[in-house]
Amino acid sequence: MQMPAIMALAAGAAQHAAARQATTSANMVNADTPGYRPRDLTAFDPFGGAASARATRAGHLLGGHDRPWREVTEAGPLDPNGNGVDMETEILRATDAQRAHNRALTVYSSSLDILRASIGRGR
Amino acid sequence: MPEFGDTLSILASGLRAQGQRLRHVSENISNADTPGYRRKTVAFSAMLEGGRETGEIRVGRVMLDRTDLRRVHDPSHPMSDEDGYFDASNVNLITEIADAREAQRSYEANLKMFEQTRRMSGALMDILKR
Repeated sequence: MQMPAIMALAAGAAQHAAARQATTSANMVNADTPGYRPRDLTAFDPFGGAASARATRAGHLLGGHDRPWREVTEAGPLDPNGNGVDMETEILRATDAQRAHNRALTVYSSSLDILRASIGRGR
Repeated sequence: MPEFGDTLSILASGLRAQGQRLRHVSENISNADTPGYRRKTVAFSAMLEGGRETGEIRVGRVMLDRTDLRRVHDPSHPMSDEDGYFDASNVNLITEIADAREAQRSYEANLKMFEQTRRMSGALMDILKR
């Protein structure tokens, strides 16, 4: 059986938030690594807005992944040792990721409640 | 797709690396008065797996600081030469303390991220529990 669209959407958003948390963690871990450039993910865009790039075949853009986002290396001011990680930005990003994850999970679980109610089980 | 488990192992590698850095800082501080001691430094680099960065961090091998040793005038010292000088260590306590502070801050930041990631995966598990 296919997952209801709203739940698939919430699951995708949660995956994006988890991936973003991973990217932010890698940035934070490498805050003292010489020559490290911070990374971020493109925004979660499940419908692929007209302006955004779309993978039209497998292997395009993401190299085989079918995620609607990709990793980008950030340009910005660098420390004297070539490191570009800014702790404050990373904290902000991590908080963003956590809130997005919570939001997605809340949507998912309330959809689950509705689904349960519709088969007469209630909470 | 990176899982929470991978995220946690990335963060754990950061905690380990900062811990090791702090260890070398304390070795330097305790040897600040050892004659002829050169301060130890370690360099961080990104861990590679099949040519791609995994996000984890690797601590390079220990290197010795090549700056000149401090010349101390103390004719009564058993190691002093005919002019009354001997080579002390090249440890600068201010540098070491600044380094230790930086290691501590990075450690704390990694630990906070670890907790946050754990909370996120806990929230995911809560849905399973229902």
